[in-house]
Amino acid sequence: MGTDQTALQSPILRLTGISKQFPGVRALEGVDFHLFAGEVHALQMSNAVASHNVRSSLSLANATRLVQVAESLGVFVLLVIVVTTASIVAPGFFTYTNLTNTLIAASVTAVTALGMTFAIAMGGFDLSVGSVQVLTAIVVASLLSVVGPPLAILGAVLTGLAIGLWNGVLISKLRLPAFVVTFGMMSVIRGVALLVTQGQSVMITKHAEFGLLNNGKILWLPVPFFIMAIVLVILSILLKNTAFGRHACAIGGNRAAAIVSGVNIDRVTIAVFGLVGVTAAISGIMLASQLMIVDATLGTGFELQAITISVLGGTSLSGGHGNLIGTVFAAILLATIASALNILKVISFYQYLAMGALLIFALAIDTARRAFVAKSLLSRS
Amino acid sequence: MESAETANHSTHRSRGIYLLGFLTKYYIQSLLLISVVILAAVNPYFRSIGNLQNILLQASFAGIGAAGMTLLIVSGAFDLSVAGLLGLCGVLISTLLPLLGAFLTFFAAILLGVVLGSLNGVVVTKLRIPAFIATLGLMNIYLALAFIWTGGSRVVPISDPIFNSLGTGALFGLPIPFLAMIAAYLGCYGILNRSVYGRCLRAVGSSEVAARTAGLPVDFIRILAFAIVGGCTALAGVFLGAELSSASAIMATGYELTVIAVVVIGGTSLKGGEGTLFGSFTGALFFAVISSALNILNVAAYWQYVATGAFLISALGVQALRSYVVVE
Repeated sequence: MGTDQTALQSPILRLTGISKQFPGVRALEGVDFHLFAGEVHALQMSNAVASHNVRSSLSLANATRLVQVAESLGVFVLLVIVVTTASIVAPGFFTYTNLTNTLIAASVTAVTALGMTFAIAMGGFDLSVGSVQVLTAIVVASLLSVVGPPLAILGAVLTGLAIGLWNGVLISKLRLPAFVVTFGMMSVIRGVALLVTQGQSVMITKHAEFGLLNNGKILWLPVPFFIMAIVLVILSILLKNTAFGRHACAIGGNRAAAIVSGVNIDRVTIAVFGLVGVTAAISGIMLASQLMIVDATLGTGFELQAITISVLGGTSLSGGHGNLIGTVFAAILLATIASALNILKVISFYQYLAMGALLIFALAIDTARRAFVAKSLLSRS
Repeated sequence: MESAETANHSTHRSRGIYLLGFLTKYYIQSLLLISVVILAAVNPYFRSIGNLQNILLQASFAGIGAAGMTLLIVSGAFDLSVAGLLGLCGVLISTLLPLLGAFLTFFAAILLGVVLGSLNGVVVTKLRIPAFIATLGLMNIYLALAFIWTGGSRVVPISDPIFNSLGTGALFGLPIPFLAMIAAYLGCYGILNRSVYGRCLRAVGSSEVAARTAGLPVDFIRILAFAIVGGCTALAGVFLGAELSSASAIMATGYELTVIAVVVIGGTSLKGGEGTLFGSFTGALFFAVISSALNILNVAAYWQYVATGAFLISALGVQALRSYVVVE
């Protein structure tokens, strides 16, 4: 390479005066960076965090936005394909009643999956959500025989919040793996649910208006859809536009860097698991209003289903980012497949086969799409 | 006299530090030992030969699966399909046993496990699907195939005196499944700690990118690890079927989470790169001791869920508190 070659050309990438602030921490200030054609750069800063911040600003300046849009659209494209196919092959799928029921089923799982996406973005996950869902459903059903719906719902939400916070305390303060804590709590809470009901089912007889949470309609759309939409909006704002959400993503992306940047790891961890507990409780309340009769055997396998929906929606288990809108699309996708298989009267064990094959097929297509997006991005730059 | 006393004091002190270090390194092992000693001291039934044999037998079902799973977790992946794979192996054993006899059926089952495990590996690595979804999807498929094979969740018999003796027999007072578990752990220990392939597993688990850049055949290494998990799971299925004298598609529901929990409790991190087979071995025994103790102490069924989870968390919680103390 000629010695003065770089001086002759104008830089192909110029970044001047980059500043990046976390609350309480000034990460970067007035950083200038010029990249000339043919140059190879290694970024070395006084600490790893600063160079990480420069690099992340660099990549952000490029194409991440485009990729993010493509990512969230990915499951949506699959969803459109599946809905179209289902409407053609399954007569009775594309009717108002069936679409409403599918949307209700999707909303119940989506709410918990949205909380799970938040936890996965932080680099953790929660295996206790199935047990929390059934316990809160039992709590709300039992409370409805003594108090009105608002207090019963409050009681269930507080139960979920308390369990979630407790999970978070064990994980952060005792530095225990999230797998062990939430796996242990899954067993404990299932036991508590069996103990309070003594293995019997609890029926909701008073306050029939509680059922409106499931079968009520606003502008022809079911109420559960609006509950899910509200949770989606709140969590999206929390994840993208608050320090709390950015800290959660920072912990998932690079824990060591987050610690050095001054993120209060313990507090964020406890809050995120509290959030997951609340979403599981909301799912439990929705489930109770849907069934009106609950018992302690409900919700088994719900934890793996919620994680599947998050991953299918484009959130990587390695942490660092969460795709909330993708999670919603993935929940609707799974509910659509289940509904279509039911309408086609596929025998239950063939449904397992179809669900398994479709999951793998969907993800294989998704991987191919990502490879395509990455390639086209490379050729553009 | 005075110098002798000082020397005595210093050896006493270093012995104390040595003991603390030993307890830190072999925490779960010490915990297991203490619980067994206490339970044996307070409950005569617990220390009976029959009960101890039963604990070893129960430990070997999850333990054998956990041996292979430890290798896979070290390579930075895990396999949720094992419950389905075990069920499918079980129902096929029932069909093959009258046709092939005990000896060939045993090898056919292991072969099936290895083939299905490799299939898991191929789907995860070649189709580049996250291990979580790929293996969960495959679990559904294996379960469905087992359901279809038996026409629902019907229980099918496994009755062959030689084959059943695999599950019920004992050598030198030790149940045969437990001996197989020891063999599985010795084999996996040799693979992980004494072979080039073991080093490759750890390299892939620490940094897939670095391993790829260094020219390691990352996909092949992972597929082989999945195949080992499949083989171990089929082995566990053979013993479970032989012990129960029956099989059904849902004979191992929840097996995947139990096996991973055994590995994690043993001290292997889900992040990959390192792992301890001795820990997984102890973890499996620990689970079996807890459930045996709860049964013997007549803990009501519903309370057993609460107690198992609470034990699990507090066992590791004590470890965390203790490491604070050691640091200080």
